[in-house]
Amino acid sequence: MARRAFLAAVVLVLLVAGLLPVLAMLAKSVTADGHLTLASYRGLLASGRQWALMGHSLALASLVTLLTTAAGLPLGILIGKTDLPLRRFFTVLFVIPLLIPTYILAVSWSGLLSGEGLVAQVFGGPAAMKLLFGLPGCVAVLFTVFLPVPMLFTVIFLRTVNPRLEEAGLLVSGWRGVLAGITVPLIRPGLLLAAMLVFLLSFGDFDVPGYLRYGVFPVESFTQFSAFYNFGAATAAAVPLAAVTLMLLLAEAGFLQAGTCQLRPSADAGQRPLIRLGAWRNALAVLVALCGCVTVVVPVAALVVQSSGIAAYAEAFGRAGDSLARSLAYAAAGATLLTFTGFFTGYLIQTKAIWCWRAVDTLTFFLFALPGTVTGIGLICLWNTPWTNFIYQTPLIILLGYLAKYTALASRITVAQLAQIPPSMEEAARIAGAGWFRRMALIVAPMARRGLLAGWIVAYIFSLRDTGITMLVYPAGHETLPVRILTLMANGSPQLIAALCVIMIAATLLPAGLLWAAFTFTARETRG
Amino acid sequence: MNMIEINSVTVRYNGTTALDGVTLSVGCGERVAFLGPSGCGKTTLLRLVAGFIAPDAGSVSIDGERVAADGRNLRPPEGRNVGMVFQDLALWPHLTVRGNIEFGLKAKGMPGDERRGRVLETLGLVGMGEYADRKPSELSGGQQQRVALARSLVLEPKVLMMDEPLSSLDQELNQRLRKEILRLQEKLGFTLLYVTHDREEAFDIAMRVVLMKNGLVQGD
Repeated sequence: MARRAFLAAVVLVLLVAGLLPVLAMLAKSVTADGHLTLASYRGLLASGRQWALMGHSLALASLVTLLTTAAGLPLGILIGKTDLPLRRFFTVLFVIPLLIPTYILAVSWSGLLSGEGLVAQVFGGPAAMKLLFGLPGCVAVLFTVFLPVPMLFTVIFLRTVNPRLEEAGLLVSGWRGVLAGITVPLIRPGLLLAAMLVFLLSFGDFDVPGYLRYGVFPVESFTQFSAFYNFGAATAAAVPLAAVTLMLLLAEAGFLQAGTCQLRPSADAGQRPLIRLGAWRNALAVLVALCGCVTVVVPVAALVVQSSGIAAYAEAFGRAGDSLARSLAYAAAGATLLTFTGFFTGYLIQTKAIWCWRAVDTLTFFLFALPGTVTGIGLICLWNTPWTNFIYQTPLIILLGYLAKYTALASRITVAQLAQIPPSMEEAARIAGAGWFRRMALIVAPMARRGLLAGWIVAYIFSLRDTGITMLVYPAGHETLPVRILTLMANGSPQLIAALCVIMIAATLLPAGLLWAAFTFTARETRG
Repeated sequence: MNMIEINSVTVRYNGTTALDGVTLSVGCGERVAFLGPSGCGKTTLLRLVAGFIAPDAGSVSIDGERVAADGRNLRPPEGRNVGMVFQDLALWPHLTVRGNIEFGLKAKGMPGDERRGRVLETLGLVGMGEYADRKPSELSGGQQQRVALARSLVLEPKVLMMDEPLSSLDQELNQRLRKEILRLQEKLGFTLLYVTHDREEAFDIAMRVVLMKNGLVQGD
């Protein structure tokens, strides 16, 4: 009883934080002056510009998905399946763009291409700048940002493949045949999930197209709200984004669910056969390193070089030090909240503790995939009332936004972790007389501590880098660092912006790195 | 009076009938082995008595109290005063041997001094007194087996259930632990439900052997 009541309360929190805002937004989009009306939708459908924007959004998302999947699969195989040197280093290198606000790379590339340095000359200077501020530039930057998604999914899903199946194939074929005929088909659910995730994340990205001035739906929705304060148009523009997200997730629920929920390492993971690259080993390592240099090292190093000098950092801390402190505090609070709710959400999904577990799983994923601007507008619709100002005018609204958008991350990590704990562990505690809270506190949570720590790190990073929601809902005087950087871009010097971007990268990577070290230490202790 | 009464119990999982109208009585202090091939319903029967699953039809009584009937568990596992040694032992890896054994005593609110004494006494009973501060991963298979047994016995259950507890051990250790289990049962007098697919083990341990197949009791 206690278990069901508590888990039902967690679901209720998710509904209030995530679903109600979306419903409130839908309701707002069909009402004006207290009457039902479809005027906003008529305006939306009648305007050729809106159709063009939708075309832009779909083209951008499709191209990024296609390119990241095409490159992420071989890269994931190289890192997860071969004896390529420096595999761990390459993994960390390629993941960095995913951990920082998406616009940072756009800022860096525009700085690089607008100057007269070597990079501008190599890439063609003004001609490349023209390409950067448009579809090709958005695709290139988002490709760099989301490449780690299919790469990591490939690496993770490769660990779930039973090595005996590959060895059976190796008896009659070489690695090329085994990869094509056995391994890749087996990890296809993971690849499809990664592709869907990349599509939705690039479809809903607001930062990069916004900075590179490429018209897409999330930018339109944001502009209608912030520039014209046309709430009807903003909500109507947000609804197609929600509809596309929902359609893809229904496909996920029907097709991919079993694959993702059953993700667990193969029992013989320690004896996985590696592909020996032989003579190609060093050449491929150089190729991967070159890719990493172009996509990650050059843009990040450019920011560091551009920001060099104490003056830029002194100005950055002077103008945005308070935002940095707030960002760290909100991200830490958000991560703690998300770890807590994500853990119990993951538990109810993994144990199917309440009848609507599948709906809860789909809801959290829907909210994660939903563009941040849509969630932000929904939160404003629901909470911007005189009775709820104690939430709307305080940082609580930001935490609610994090809760709505990022619970799926912590919950899916929990599901993967709990899948590795035999149910008999909790049953043994139950039969020993322990109630549910005691079992959770003393048996399940300690056994899932690696998942909890990993969930906290991921939730911290995503809360820290968030702009889509925070940009729309932050109360006056509570702006976070990513939002502050975006607002300073209008009048700040390039050195200042570069310094702020470097601070942002450090604020993300340093705590995450330290926690990752703790995570690795815990893992070693557990194995010991 | 019988310790366990299972009356016309049916259990279904996703359309498959795991137990099909099983009726069975087990007397106080009796040792009963359930023997049968994989998937015949032996483990389901133990989980039913433990309270991890509820019968779709029929009823279960323990020590004269009806604990499950017609699709509902009337008493949860934590309130049935039964012990169970799981097939994978389910020793909590983050707790020491002492932590594993005193967990249930803490849950029952036993004071510290009394609890410590009971833990040492039970560890002595299974010959593991000197391993109290070790983690399960630092023990051999046979030692882990004894700890799992001690963890169940420390709560002085009316019924102890063992689900293929010796299946992963070598022949010699298997036989030694069988003797140990018999010694403890005779000393403490609990009712023992023992699941195995090994005919020799079943006849060695039990006073009575129940043969199961396709969710039915085939012979008793």
